[in-house]
Amino acid sequence: MLALWGGSDAVLAVGVRLAALALVALLGAIVLGWSALVPAGAALLGAGYATRLAADDVPLDVRAPLLAAGLLLVVELAYWSLEARLHALGERGEDLRRLAVVLLLALASLGIAATLLAVSDLVRTGGLAIDLLGAAAAAGSLVLLALLALGPARAGGR
Amino acid sequence: MRRASSPRLVGFAALTAVGLVAALALRRPELAVLVSPFALVLSLGLRPLERPVVDAQLVVAADRVVEGDGIDATLRVRAGTAVDRLELRLVLPDLVEAVDADAFALRLGAGEARELSLTLRCGRWGLYDVGPVELRARDALRVVVWESRTGSTLPLKAYPRSERLRSLLAPRETQVYTGSEVARTKGDGIEYADLREYVPGDRLRSVNWRASARRNALVVNEQHPERNTDVVLFVDSFADLRQAGRSTLDDAVRATASLAARYLERRDRVGLVTYGGLLRWLRPGMGTRQRFLLVETLLETGVEPTYTWRDVSVIPAHVLPPKALVLGVTPLLDARYVATLGDLRARGFDVAVVEVDPVGLVDPGPADLDRLAHRLWLLEREVLLARLSRLGIAVARWSETADLDAALEGVTTYRRRARLARV
Repeated sequence: MLALWGGSDAVLAVGVRLAALALVALLGAIVLGWSALVPAGAALLGAGYATRLAADDVPLDVRAPLLAAGLLLVVELAYWSLEARLHALGERGEDLRRLAVVLLLALASLGIAATLLAVSDLVRTGGLAIDLLGAAAAAGSLVLLALLALGPARAGGR
Repeated sequence: MRRASSPRLVGFAALTAVGLVAALALRRPELAVLVSPFALVLSLGLRPLERPVVDAQLVVAADRVVEGDGIDATLRVRAGTAVDRLELRLVLPDLVEAVDADAFALRLGAGEARELSLTLRCGRWGLYDVGPVELRARDALRVVVWESRTGSTLPLKAYPRSERLRSLLAPRETQVYTGSEVARTKGDGIEYADLREYVPGDRLRSVNWRASARRNALVVNEQHPERNTDVVLFVDSFADLRQAGRSTLDDAVRATASLAARYLERRDRVGLVTYGGLLRWLRPGMGTRQRFLLVETLLETGVEPTYTWRDVSVIPAHVLPPKALVLGVTPLLDARYVATLGDLRARGFDVAVVEVDPVGLVDPGPADLDRLAHRLWLLEREVLLARLSRLGIAVARWSETADLDAALEGVTTYRRRARLARV
């Protein structure tokens, strides 16, 4: 709702539908134990935000770091729920420790995202620079994805 | 341990890629900012990490347990390197369960060892392999997962639980060794048998002085000696009717184990024949060793489907000693088993049957035709029981409503009154 706040009626209509779909995906992931539905749910939430940014053509949105930290929290908690399906007998205090790690990650994410937003605001005037940076980041993430996919197979032996 | 991709790693990488591409396409840096936390977690989680070294070993307190009882086990874990979260799951066969939990999650420091206690329970008698242990180690951010299986499987024997038995079927004939059964013959014993005239050589202590005074001649008491008997437990493994956690074969094995234990306590010799697709036998013997041999032979009992006709000739002669009581334990579902009972009776064996009643396990069905078939089947069973009765084979019906003890008492009464049929 924070992502859609202040959006036009059309954006709100689309955004609410996407948020509902995201909720269904996340609930499905938790209930059915399908971990692939978690990033799908997060992507749908992000799609709602992207719709708002693209359709309303708002200036640089300062709420983005907050949304980024919130999205990370949602995804982390969903994966945590999936891990809890193992019904493993854990140690006392483990959940608190895990919660602290997740909150710390969210805080660090907030800081990093705010810094990134500030940097992007600075380089916003140089259009080509941000294009190149974005292209490099996208290519880098794809390479990283490919490496990760190959990694377990190469490191398969003991 | 083998490194494996975690769902979190794949999901975070996908979200990062999608977010960055969308940011580029829509020319909105906010979208890159939105997925930056996922990129942060990935970069932190994928830093070079030491491969976890963990060893786990399962120790079970005993290799024998009675079905339904708990058995203590210990899971010993030792970590060579620090592990933020180590998940251990004990691989258990069907019908074996861990009472509290079969999975544990631990945080271990380098060189730290831990012992985890758990209780295992076998839902049914049988031979089981417990283990190995599945290990899964995760880093603090849960991005990378290492998996392995460690430890060997441990054999576990679940013995059938005993049914309550106060009385047993007494064979018609006894053997030569001392036992608990009062023989029909006369000799040295405790049980009074008869009076007879004194003959030289009789002991003075056996003179019945009151009777001698009445007859004006020396009269001595005669006794029945206490002798052992031979019992052959004849288990039907041709068919098994199973429904809602109850099975005729499971019950038959439980009854057989209980009967064997009680007969062996009386110093009787007990043998075993499991008669079905696969023939197993154990020669009659006595003592604790025989009891364990019997139970362990029973644990291997299972239904092996066969369409070949089998008769009494396949049973080795030495397994069926003369004058032995052949006690069949059967649901009376297979014609080959019933025919063999008749053959044994025809050969002069003392035969009785404990019928593991399958009627309660059969649903009559919703349709009229089904119910008609069910009634016909019940009538056929009544005819079968009458035929066995005519052959002089007493049948103890053991069902959910009647315990084994009561069923055996009914047969004892029948055998006491019935005359042996000529066959």
